[in-house]
Amino acid sequence: MMDWIDFFEKWIWFGVAAIGFAILFNVPKRTLIPIFIMAALGGSVKLVLLHWGDSLVLGTLLGAVLIGFLSIYAAHFKHSPPFVFAIPAVIPMVPGSYAYYTMKGIIKLANNSNNTDFVPLLNDTITNGFKTLFILMAIAIGVFAPMLLTRRDSAKQIKMPLLKQDKK
Amino acid sequence: MQKNQSIEIGALLLEIGALLMSAGANTNRIRLTMRRIAKSYGYKAEYLITHRAIMLTLQNPNGDLAFNQVKQTYAQVPNFMMVSGISRLSWRIVDENLSVETVWQEIERLKLLPKYPKLIILATVALACAAFCRLGGGNFTEMLIVFLASFSGLFIKQELGKKKVNPYFGVFLASFITTMICGVIGVWYPFQHDNMAFVTSVLYLIPGIPLINSISDIMDGNSLNGIIRALNGIVISFAIASGLLIAVLIFNAV
Repeated sequence: MMDWIDFFEKWIWFGVAAIGFAILFNVPKRTLIPIFIMAALGGSVKLVLLHWGDSLVLGTLLGAVLIGFLSIYAAHFKHSPPFVFAIPAVIPMVPGSYAYYTMKGIIKLANNSNNTDFVPLLNDTITNGFKTLFILMAIAIGVFAPMLLTRRDSAKQIKMPLLKQDKK
Repeated sequence: MQKNQSIEIGALLLEIGALLMSAGANTNRIRLTMRRIAKSYGYKAEYLITHRAIMLTLQNPNGDLAFNQVKQTYAQVPNFMMVSGISRLSWRIVDENLSVETVWQEIERLKLLPKYPKLIILATVALACAAFCRLGGGNFTEMLIVFLASFSGLFIKQELGKKKVNPYFGVFLASFITTMICGVIGVWYPFQHDNMAFVTSVLYLIPGIPLINSISDIMDGNSLNGIIRALNGIVISFAIASGLLIAVLIFNAV
């Protein structure tokens, strides 16, 4: 039971973080609610995969892909380009703490004079650095996935299942 | 009359391209929008789009050169309301055959659209950083500290932006001051979660738009613009990191 409350709380915080960035990027008001929902769903996918599969990079990739596809739906409903929804919604998944530990590790390496500490420190720093890099790549590719898979120039030309639309 | 029309349409296309580039659209979107509008007026457009300038050549329906000009883009300020508005406008031009004068009026209207109130921007962005802190495992007191630090940091960054300070230096100063506020409060209230407040309070500065746009530009084949955007994002990240690191060293939190 506690797990579900914890999960729901994180769900809300993912949405709140996305809304903050959406307002910083000055999005139209009608897109705020879809951004909240998309960020929360993408974040939940990441949390679930982290819980079951113990893979942060894969979880982030799938979460970002989900946000990418939902952004196409949202673009049809709310008449805005898909990336207006997708960019604020994926920002809560940015690996801030890993980037911080990487930098902290680099400073420690620079100040280190002890030979036995060096190897474990290097291990941690490089692991954190590559995690940061791969998570950032996963986010960018996930957002771009729908355009990559459907090979269309504009979201208006993508035919959506379960959605009536006029021919363009 | 024909000649004047081509000049008007050329100026319109350049203005739309410059606005989209400054508002944070990716290169492919700018190309498609300009081509769509030019085609609906019966012209053929060839262009070179870079980060700082757009070069445009228009050919009229007979294939003669009708217009040729370079325009500087504006300062980079993310504004998705503008991108969204221009996207809708471009489809209206195709569907309803709007005249050039109407399109200019629409663009002027889009430029004057009200932004969010300043206090709301500051508060929601600070709340977003507090949310990051909570997601990273911080407690509610730490969230409050992060809120205060991000609020003041973003305010300083906006004020520096108004004074036309170098944007990278502005990011550096904002990052430094934000973490200093966290550190000073941390002297009286030691953090329980390995400096989670330090990490998350600077997250409002992350260059999300340049980094994501750089990947999509490279995937679309606009490699040069992609590399420029990636470099821009990396330099901003480096500015954040140096501000953060100096504050962390001062408080000896390493």
